[in-house]
Amino acid sequence: MVGTGSSHQGRRPASALIWLVPPVVLAVCTVTAAVLVPLGARSPVAWCGTAATVAVALTSSEAVRRGRIIDTLRRRCAEQEAAFRHRLVQQEIETRRLARELLPAAVNLLQQGASADEVLREVRPLTPLDPSFEAAHRSVLRSVVEAVQAEEGLRDSAHRAFVNIARRVQAIVHQQATDLREMEDRHGNDPDVFGDLLHLDHGTALIGRLADSIAVLGGSRPGRQWKNPIPLYNVLRGAMSRIMDYRRVDLHSVADVAVTGPGVEPLIHALAELLDNATRYSPPQTRVHLTAVEVQSGVAVEIEDAGVGLTDEARRRTDAVLELADRGLDLNDLGETPRLGLAVVSRLAKTYAFRVSLRPSAYGGVRAVLIVPENLITASATPGGEIARAATLPPPKPRKKPGRPLPPPPELDQPTEESDGSGGLPQRRRRAPGIPSRAARQAAAAAAGRPPRRRSPAAEPPPQPGLWLAAFTSAVNGEEPTTDSRGPFSDESSDKEE
Amino acid sequence: MSKPKNPWDQGNPDRLYILTTGRASTDKDLRLDLVTLIVARSETDPGLQPEHAAIVRMCDYPLSVAEISAYLTLPVSTVTVLLTDLLTNDQVEARPPVPVAALPDVRLLEAVMHGLQNL
Repeated sequence: MVGTGSSHQGRRPASALIWLVPPVVLAVCTVTAAVLVPLGARSPVAWCGTAATVAVALTSSEAVRRGRIIDTLRRRCAEQEAAFRHRLVQQEIETRRLARELLPAAVNLLQQGASADEVLREVRPLTPLDPSFEAAHRSVLRSVVEAVQAEEGLRDSAHRAFVNIARRVQAIVHQQATDLREMEDRHGNDPDVFGDLLHLDHGTALIGRLADSIAVLGGSRPGRQWKNPIPLYNVLRGAMSRIMDYRRVDLHSVADVAVTGPGVEPLIHALAELLDNATRYSPPQTRVHLTAVEVQSGVAVEIEDAGVGLTDEARRRTDAVLELADRGLDLNDLGETPRLGLAVVSRLAKTYAFRVSLRPSAYGGVRAVLIVPENLITASATPGGEIARAATLPPPKPRKKPGRPLPPPPELDQPTEESDGSGGLPQRRRRAPGIPSRAARQAAAAAAGRPPRRRSPAAEPPPQPGLWLAAFTSAVNGEEPTTDSRGPFSDESSDKEE
Repeated sequence: MSKPKNPWDQGNPDRLYILTTGRASTDKDLRLDLVTLIVARSETDPGLQPEHAAIVRMCDYPLSVAEISAYLTLPVSTVTVLLTDLLTNDQVEARPPVPVAALPDVRLLEAVMHGLQNL
């Protein structure tokens, strides 16, 4: 285009002279003819030649003028074509950018919670465009943004509905579990009813786990909240109690630590899901091993099964599921047979900074390791071997003291007193008073007689609640404590035996 | 039975069926009554389940099944299952509370009573 334009420019002075050529030639011819013809014909020839020359000059100048007009027109046309082509290219670029950059950016902004107007303000074309074309772009963008927003809103409300329903189910399940616990206490004497209650209890726990899973995927927290730290042993058992095949889980050594209150429920839930996977994808006759050891960065809980294991492809998939959990519950992804487990685990892991990995196990199955971060771990409430005692068992001794002086086991009290003083000795000492008393008791069992049994508590040192109460009453009565202490004590022990 | 009285509801994620791995009763003919006295026969073993360990620890002195149940705040059936485990491992010993055979037969007493009335 540009080349032809420049050639026009170059030809212009030449073409300006060219139109003179025919009239000049004709004029020369006319003059020649007028000179050559006889004198009588000279005047008409001259006239005719002049007329023809003028006509040719007119025609030629007109032709040149038109040629010039055509030139300018062509030039303008080329310029316009270039401009149009440029615009076309720009629009093409802009449209491509709309498709590749602006729309994804807009959708991204929407998913982060921006409103439609904000998004439209944020997302602008780079280069200024035709107003009409830009308006068309904006309208495309707007309709897409609005559609996406409507869909996001739908998804959001579906999420909320999910979570809401899950919350209600959780509340009912919790109430049900409390009621069942009361019923278990009430009907604890009847093994048949009790067995049925345990069965129901288990079923309720399974329902609760499902509700928790849905709540977690909906972006909420799992069910209950615990105020006090719970020993890890009980947390692991809590996780076991929420799966179908808890009988197949072997709970091995557990680190003697506790989990802080906020971390308890997520940990229970994540472990329950992992245990559920382990029991579900391994043959029913195999065992699943559950251990917990302390590591540098916290506590590692290991779940090992002897199942079919993970193929490379399956492992990639599970890793992918564990990776992208922040999208939350996508109703479309659920499909016919929803696989919630790993999604729930990864979601919880992301929220509470658990580290989860699934690797092939030495047994051939899968070994799942969940590392609980240090900030969720605290010292166990009852250090030194009594792993779950604080949460499971009330100390028998203090409960007896206030009211009834009936049958307190004195051996329970002694070692704790002694263990305050010296480290390793109490175990040895406890055996010393224990052995004769047990021997005496066996003798008593053989003879079914009372005297040896009465002798054995008397032989044991006296820090019994009954004793000091007796001493108290005798002191109130003004009697000497040491002489009378044996009397009420032996009475009580005989009372107890009957 | 209100909630705060029950220590389990204040912070224990265990359920009862976990303690006994789902068993509610034992098929064994070990008859454990509410008043059967239980005595430990060995020291606690670190490998024991905490509940078992607690029973062994507290039964150093003879305790009835009902008492164990009360101190552990566990239902009697659960305690019975736990005790059966311990009994099969010979870690505790059960002792019938009152030798029933030592009591006179009720029918005999009735016969005596009737005989006396007939005099």
